[in-house]
Amino acid sequence: MNEHVIVQTISKILIPFIQLYALYVLAHGELGPGGGFQAGAIFGASIVLYVLAFGMKSAKLRFKSKVFDFLTSAGVFIFATVGVLCMIAGGAFLQYSSLPLPTKKLASGIGIYGIEIGVFITVTAVLVTIFFETAEQDDD
Amino acid sequence: MMFGLAALAIVVAAIMVLYRGIKGPRVYDRLLAINSMGTKTVILIALIGYMYERPHFLDIALVYALINFIGTIAFLKYRETGRLD
Repeated sequence: MNEHVIVQTISKILIPFIQLYALYVLAHGELGPGGGFQAGAIFGASIVLYVLAFGMKSAKLRFKSKVFDFLTSAGVFIFATVGVLCMIAGGAFLQYSSLPLPTKKLASGIGIYGIEIGVFITVTAVLVTIFFETAEQDDD
Repeated sequence: MMFGLAALAIVVAAIMVLYRGIKGPRVYDRLLAINSMGTKTVILIALIGYMYERPHFLDIALVYALINFIGTIAFLKYRETGRLD
C-alpha cells in the first residue's frame, strides 16, 4: 500500500485514540470489562493498524523486533517481581495484602495493577511479534 | 420494550445483510456485508447493555467498532496486494 492517503490519514487520527482506549481498559479493569490481556490486545491492534497503513518498512523503523523481544520478557519479569515482592514481605506468592502499604485494600489494588501492567506489556509484544512474523514469512 | 423492538429491527436487518454476505457474487459485496454486520453488532451490544441496565457494555461496543475497522482494512489490503506487510 504505497500512496493510500485516506487510509493513512484515518489511521493517523485513529491510532492515538485506540492506544488511549487500551490504557483506559487497562486502568479501568477492576470496575468494568477489561484487564491486562484485553488492553494488550487492543494496543497490539493499534500497532497492526500502523503496519497495515504505512507498510512494514516504515514500521520497522519505529518498532524494532528486538525491542518487542525484550518487552515480552519484561512483562513476565514485572509479573514475577510483584509476586516475589509479596513473598519477601512475608506472604505467599501474589498475596497482595502482605505488601507493606497503609491499608490492605490499597496494597491489593496496587498489586493487581502491577501484574495487569505486566500482562499488558507481554500480550502487546507477543501479538505484535506474531503479526510481524506471519506477515513477512514469504520474504525469502 | 422500545429497546427490544429496536433490537428486533437490527436482527432483521442483520439477516438481510447475512443473505448478501452468503449470496454476494463479488468479494466486495461480502466485505460490505461483513462491515455492516459489524456495525449492527456494535449497535446491538449497546442496546442489550441498556436493556439489561449494564452500561459497561458500551465499552465492549466501542472496542468492537475499532477492531471491525482494522479487520476491514486488513482484508482490503490482502485483497489488493496479496500480503499484509
